[in-house]
Amino acid sequence: MIALSTAALAFVLRGWLAPILALIVVGATVARAGLGRAFLPFVLATLPLLISIVLIDVFLYPGATDTIMVIGPLRATGTGLTIAGQASLRIVAFALSVAVFALTTPTDDLLADLERRGMGRRATFIIGAAIQTIPRLAARAGEVADSQRARGLNTEGSVWRRVRGVVPLVGPMISGALSEVEERTLALEARAFSAPARRALLRPMPDDAAQRAGRWLLGLATIVLIVATISGHLALP
Amino acid sequence: MIEVRGLVHVYPDGTRAVDGVHLRIGDGEQIAIIGQNGSGKSTLVRHFNGLLRPTLGDVLIDGQLTAGLRVAALAANVGLAFQDPDRQIFAGQVRTEVAFGPHNLGLRSAALETAVTKALDAVGLTEQGERNPYDLGFSNRKLLALASILAMGTPTVVLDEPTTGQDLRGVERVRRIVADLAAAGRTVVAISHDMRFVAEAFPRVVVMRAGRVILDGTPGEVFAEANWGALAGTYVEPQLASRVGVRLGLGSTPTDAALIEALVKRPG
Repeated sequence: MIALSTAALAFVLRGWLAPILALIVVGATVARAGLGRAFLPFVLATLPLLISIVLIDVFLYPGATDTIMVIGPLRATGTGLTIAGQASLRIVAFALSVAVFALTTPTDDLLADLERRGMGRRATFIIGAAIQTIPRLAARAGEVADSQRARGLNTEGSVWRRVRGVVPLVGPMISGALSEVEERTLALEARAFSAPARRALLRPMPDDAAQRAGRWLLGLATIVLIVATISGHLALP
Repeated sequence: MIEVRGLVHVYPDGTRAVDGVHLRIGDGEQIAIIGQNGSGKSTLVRHFNGLLRPTLGDVLIDGQLTAGLRVAALAANVGLAFQDPDRQIFAGQVRTEVAFGPHNLGLRSAALETAVTKALDAVGLTEQGERNPYDLGFSNRKLLALASILAMGTPTVVLDEPTTGQDLRGVERVRRIVADLAAAGRTVVAISHDMRFVAEAFPRVVVMRAGRVILDGTPGEVFAEANWGALAGTYVEPQLASRVGVRLGLGSTPTDAALIEALVKRPG
């Protein structure tokens, strides 16, 4: 919930303050949950994006005239720098909020909770399947690559050579994923997936009054802030 | 010749899959590797063609260290047929699928056609040459994957669980393929959980447990009563012929043929 609020805020609000606040909240959550080490890759992953934003905005921001530096044919502008700084902060706040969500919420908890809140089991299953597919496909890709290399497929060398290598690598992945669908469907049906009764959820969810109140408050604050900003009643620096 | 010296392989998650294996496989030998799931069999054989690299120790193929060689180069020496055929089949036609390996190794036109035809003959899929691989049943797809390795004509053939999902006829076919490879002087290394197949088709059996080789010998030696404790420790149950032979006091009779012979020769 914290993560979703900060993500929404960072996305909607402009200026300096909002993303900084969002980042502070994200930072506090990370520290509280003891995620430091696991969090680092996500921070690093945003770097390439940041660098490109800064380069493009600083040097190519349209209409900016307040030049602060000239490098060859490129002019760096103050407006560009400001915009780049704000955009970067927003992107980082948004991305890291989502990362916090991913790191703190086990898929099973998420799915059980969605279903408890009345989401249909088909919809929950689709979300779950989509999340689980990624690691499975990655593992499968590794095995496919191994078996084709074992048959002498050279994945190094010229571009043409590599392009020709794509079909043997992608083919078994797609065909395998498709044929898996049928088996999964049958296996689900065999376990009464489409039975009409409401399922009993066996996963206990730790949730107390303070947490519930916190969630409501956060949700409310998010909506108020967004509405205030959009309607112009609140101008953040 | 394949020579493994003090091989240790640790996966990135810290699993010590192979933990100090010394093994020497001579040219033209047929050996079976057995042992419980997770005992390091598959990890070991993936070092033979460079798919995995040693954490410690060396693997030598014909006296040459695999360390500096690329998988594509090692594939010309060691062909490895994987357990799951669906992780390799990509072509729209059986013959194209089989031709992929030998084509990568540089075979062209007539030589390529001959290699493909011979491999399909060996697994009994000649009639299916023009069909789509996915129209074949699982056991035939598995034989197709095997054919696509045989067609490469490598001096060494490694088979990872070749008899899984095969009925009696399929197992018999794999056994004949191993015998044909043996007759042609090629080296065969097979991983299997099918002890009857192992005892009947392989003159040498290597038993692994927790990343180490614990037994190495002929089926008669490995499946002898004295080793049953060690075998049970890696979840291997000796095949029926061995158990009957021991029960009747006939000594080690790893194959049906050995058991019958011992019964015939039995005094009284």
